Amino acid sequence: MAAKEEILEALADYQVQCNNNARLRRMQRDWSKLIHFLSEDTGDYFTMDVKNGEIMSYESGASGTPDIIVTTLSENLCDMFWGDLNPSQKYLDGEIKVKATQEDIMRLDAITMIIWPDV
Amino acid sequence: MTTLKKVLKLRTVVSTSAGMALATSCYLAGLQVATIMVGELAWISILVAGFFCLLSSMCFSELTSLYPTAAGIKLFIQSAFNEKAAIAIGAFYVLLGISMVGAESYLLSSVLSGTFTMVNANIDKFIWMLFFIVFVACINYRGIFITGLVQDILTYIMLGFLVIVSIYTFSTQDIAMSAALQSTQFTLANVLKAAGVGVFLYVGFEWVTPLAEETTDYKLIGRGMMIAIGILSIVYSMFVVAMYTGLTKEQLVSGTPIPHIVFARNLFGTPGVIFFIFMSILASVTSFNAGLLNTSRFAYAMARDNVLPKVFSKLHPDYATPWVSILALLVFAIIISFFILITHQYLFIIVMAAALECIIYVVMAVCVIRLRKKQPDAERSFKIPFGNLIPIITIVVFTGLALGLFADVSRDYSGKVLFHNYWVALVMFAFAIATTLYTLFVVPVFKNKAAELAKTRQKRRPGRQA
Repeated sequence: MAAKEEILEALADYQVQCNNNARLRRMQRDWSKLIHFLSEDTGDYFTMDVKNGEIMSYESGASGTPDIIVTTLSENLCDMFWGDLNPSQKYLDGEIKVKATQEDIMRLDAITMIIWPDV
Repeated sequence: MTTLKKVLKLRTVVSTSAGMALATSCYLAGLQVATIMVGELAWISILVAGFFCLLSSMCFSELTSLYPTAAGIKLFIQSAFNEKAAIAIGAFYVLLGISMVGAESYLLSSVLSGTFTMVNANIDKFIWMLFFIVFVACINYRGIFITGLVQDILTYIMLGFLVIVSIYTFSTQDIAMSAALQSTQFTLANVLKAAGVGVFLYVGFEWVTPLAEETTDYKLIGRGMMIAIGILSIVYSMFVVAMYTGLTKEQLVSGTPIPHIVFARNLFGTPGVIFFIFMSILASVTSFNAGLLNTSRFAYAMARDNVLPKVFSKLHPDYATPWVSILALLVFAIIISFFILITHQYLFIIVMAAALECIIYVVMAVCVIRLRKKQPDAERSFKIPFGNLIPIITIVVFTGLALGLFADVSRDYSGKVLFHNYWVALVMFAFAIATTLYTLFVVPVFKNKAAELAKTRQKRRPGRQA
């Protein structure tokens, strides 16, 4: 089980990786979403605000009305943000549940795929 | 618990489910139902097929309430059986499903080439087919989506149009219902045989299940599917009888692939033809577009899961669309369409699609029973009543329909044998063998390679480097 602080640390790294990747920024330039992540084993929420492909902010808790809700175990969230986990595989196995349009689900997965293509 | 900013309404779930099923090939399939039955009584088989599909939709509803994800069918089978079965059956379903584009593009090109002559019938058909497939692929490549509202408008316009035309036909044409009831063709065996082909009319209603992730109440998906099947049953029943009544004996015997256009000309002249062409284009483009969208995303997900070569997961740098998957499916669709153009065996694909659906419905019903045993306490917002009775009936009915289809012979209206349906079974068997061999021998290579790579990869998470 990953603690809230661990996930926030992972999110900090995720933000840097995303925002520093020119290819990803170009691909997601018209993608603006408010995303809620729910760690189902700890009950913690995290909110991430993406504007034109750039992660503007992230915080603990659920703020605003989201476009996307991702629910999984805290360990999966942590591994996903560190780029150690293939979200598609976990999604296809039913371990990661996403409430969003199909387009947004693919765009979310694309972040990991572009930053860490070997995952 | 937070909720999404935008959630789908029941109206859109219904329009998406019905819109997937509405296609140009449905007119021909409807006429094939009328050919097996007595034309005026085709509605009986259409309603029977609709009722059977309703049973199957209940299975999809329960499974979706258990796993409300776009990974749907793959996850249902994987949880009920294992990953290998899920990959083999999923690939079988998607590959054969996309081959319906062959029949659909052939029929749409027949509609257009029969109306506008450019070079000659065959070349015109080829040009229209290519244009149609490439056009839809470009929409997908560019990442242009049909929004829920547009889907609502298109589907309800198409359904309303068919109802109005049917009512007009009934009010102006004589329908020899009592003579039809006396016909020797009106038998239980023929009702069921025609219902087997009639299943084709509903093909695709289940493709709405991926939308579960865009709803707040998963029961909406099940309710939407059932309403869509109900609406389709009524609309098809009316329109197929109207179309049959509006065609002359000579036109029926001619075996035209575009009966709705001939029917439109008989009843409404050139304005009717123009309207029907427009409706055909709408129906084909929306269903093919949705089909390509779903299958290309499926191929992308399979590549990300190391089931297909990595190249299929490549995303376009500007549009974020899985362009390699789209391109591969485009080539596959063109090959199938070209094959249909040369052989003119569009009916073969229609029978194959009907049989494929029967098989998938059986698999889904088996999944319901197995998952009830494996996960009896898992939360289901919808559970089919009466225990396993309805899934068992679904298994028996659709196995019977599939076997009936394979044992039958496809004929045109004059009774001429077009092909023995066991050829359909053989082609499907070959596809099943190919996907199984791929799953058993090729997928492990990709999986092992990915596992080896993962072992050498340094973990980034602090404390997990080892």
